[in-house]
Amino acid sequence: MKKHLSRIYMCLIFGILYIPILTLILFSFNATNSTAVFTGFSFRWYAELFASPDTFLALSNTLILAICSATLSTVIGTAACEGIYRMRRLPAKLLNSVTNIPMMNPDIVTGMSMMLCFVAFVGVLQIDYEQFGFFAMLIAHTTFCLPYVILSVMPRRNELGKTYSEAAMDLGCTPLQSFFKVELPNLMPGILSGFVMAFTLSLDDFVISYFVGSSSFQTLPLLIYSMTKKKVKPDMYALSTLIIVTVFLLLLLSNIRSSKKLRKGGGRS
Amino acid sequence: MAKLIELKGLSKSFDGEKVLNAIDLYIRDGEFITLLGPSGCGKTTMLRIIGGFETADEGRLLFEGTDIGHVPAYKRHINTVFQKYALFPHLNVYENIAFPLRLKKVKEDDIQQRVTDMLKMVALSGFENKSVSTLSGGQQQRVAIARALISHPRVLLLDEPLGALDLKLRKDMQNELKTIQKAIGITFIYVTHDQEEALSMSDTVVVMADGEIQQIGTPTDIYNEPKNAFVADFIGESNIVDGIMLEDKKVKFSSHIFDCVDGGFAKNEAVDVVVRPEDVDVVEPSRGMLTGQVTSVTFKGVHYEIIVDIGGFKWMIQSTDYVAPDAYIGLYIEPDAIHIMKKSKYSGKFGDYSSFSDELDRLSDAELAEEF
Repeated sequence: MKKHLSRIYMCLIFGILYIPILTLILFSFNATNSTAVFTGFSFRWYAELFASPDTFLALSNTLILAICSATLSTVIGTAACEGIYRMRRLPAKLLNSVTNIPMMNPDIVTGMSMMLCFVAFVGVLQIDYEQFGFFAMLIAHTTFCLPYVILSVMPRRNELGKTYSEAAMDLGCTPLQSFFKVELPNLMPGILSGFVMAFTLSLDDFVISYFVGSSSFQTLPLLIYSMTKKKVKPDMYALSTLIIVTVFLLLLLSNIRSSKKLRKGGGRS
Repeated sequence: MAKLIELKGLSKSFDGEKVLNAIDLYIRDGEFITLLGPSGCGKTTMLRIIGGFETADEGRLLFEGTDIGHVPAYKRHINTVFQKYALFPHLNVYENIAFPLRLKKVKEDDIQQRVTDMLKMVALSGFENKSVSTLSGGQQQRVAIARALISHPRVLLLDEPLGALDLKLRKDMQNELKTIQKAIGITFIYVTHDQEEALSMSDTVVVMADGEIQQIGTPTDIYNEPKNAFVADFIGESNIVDGIMLEDKKVKFSSHIFDCVDGGFAKNEAVDVVVRPEDVDVVEPSRGMLTGQVTSVTFKGVHYEIIVDIGGFKWMIQSTDYVAPDAYIGLYIEPDAIHIMKKSKYSGKFGDYSSFSDELDRLSDAELAEEF
């Protein structure tokens, strides 16, 4: 009895989680643009999706932005962790809390404040906001990704301690060599997960992009939103389906990799 | 042997607390020197200053006559074996040992030759491709030593390197370290709180307490001629009693006048008298210089540890003959078994076995072990 109940409960949870996504996938293969009736199987919307230059531009914009901002925030975040680690306890704590504020802050507030800031900046320098589009987005995305990178690298840094860098310097490394040859390889797991987190956050951010963005630099979430003002066409379902499949494959890949590592054994982490 | 390292008036404080107080010390080329003291005596700080991981607040650190106080660690010809080994987890055994050579851009053939030789020396041939995290404590220890020695440093610093090993392995490693040191002939500076380790390995022992050097000498000097009550108590077991130096070679303690071999004190100067437990002979009460009642007897394998109450002061005696508890016995002490020390700030703090019990002893050992 208990077993059955727990099964039902599990099915219910998974149902709630996945039925909407499955519906979306199903309707991306619908022959007509009806959102209620499934009239027949076709690849029509996929064809239409690949025929639309706007969508493609938005997709490439999103990816470029995500890669750039994730890289930038990972580099800055890792450097920040090194700095915070070397600080005295009180300033370190203070700085940690300060970097966490953007994480707690509602996106809408962050978005608005950044927009104001950029507009003022553009006004002072008298440049065209349209040209500034990509950089505004890059700065905004890097900023809100940064705390997440620090959050994932900092524990690793603390765990690593100073013994390894001392040992490296003892054996002849300059501080810089010690960082690249000893600390970095050991921080890598934290850095990678920070990068992935930053990448996904940047990928699906809408609120902040909405405030900061301009028509010269459209990202996918912005494009989809602008379409909902008219009517969402099923080619967006097709796009979403592609994104879901990609994410699913990525997850599968990383899980397989980590389980392989576990099976190999001996790994301390 | 020439002076290799010299410490002149070295002081260091952490958060206003003085950890090292005006240390003067020189270390000769090729010697095995041990910094010995309880935890918190400043020995590790001293090692870290020599290694280049801390800078002294005051004083100078000379290496072959030149001040290296502000030379960074990576430019010093001094390598360290860290307490927790600090082997790089992302590199295998071979790459860990080759690490210093790769930095110096040594040719691949040479690296291979030297790493292979080094592995042979520390008896780890065939371990090249193992991950360091799969090694046992003793093996990690050897890799750490090999890595520290491969770039031919002038000095090797060892910070309680055997602390994490079990007793048997510790003894083996002690011998091995001594053998390695003799074989390559460089200076070893060894930090430990284990007096036995210090006595059995070192050419010179530096006993430290409260950020100050208490005594410098060979192991036999330190054991036989301790300078003050702290050293006498820290190195081995000691009965330390108050005495009065009546004249040269005559000392009075426990209401009895003894012949001794020390002199050079003022007439009737108050002194500390040290008698090692193994130097006291148990005799008939009638023949004894001192008499007392046995309060406890513990079998230790090689000998019995006997606690005797003599006029309220508890003496420890080590004897191979069994004595029944509560029995009255006499003690006989040879003149050369009596060592006289000047009074110091440590007088009266050590050397009484009133509170002594095996259980307590073991407890405090466990506490010490936890700290490291």
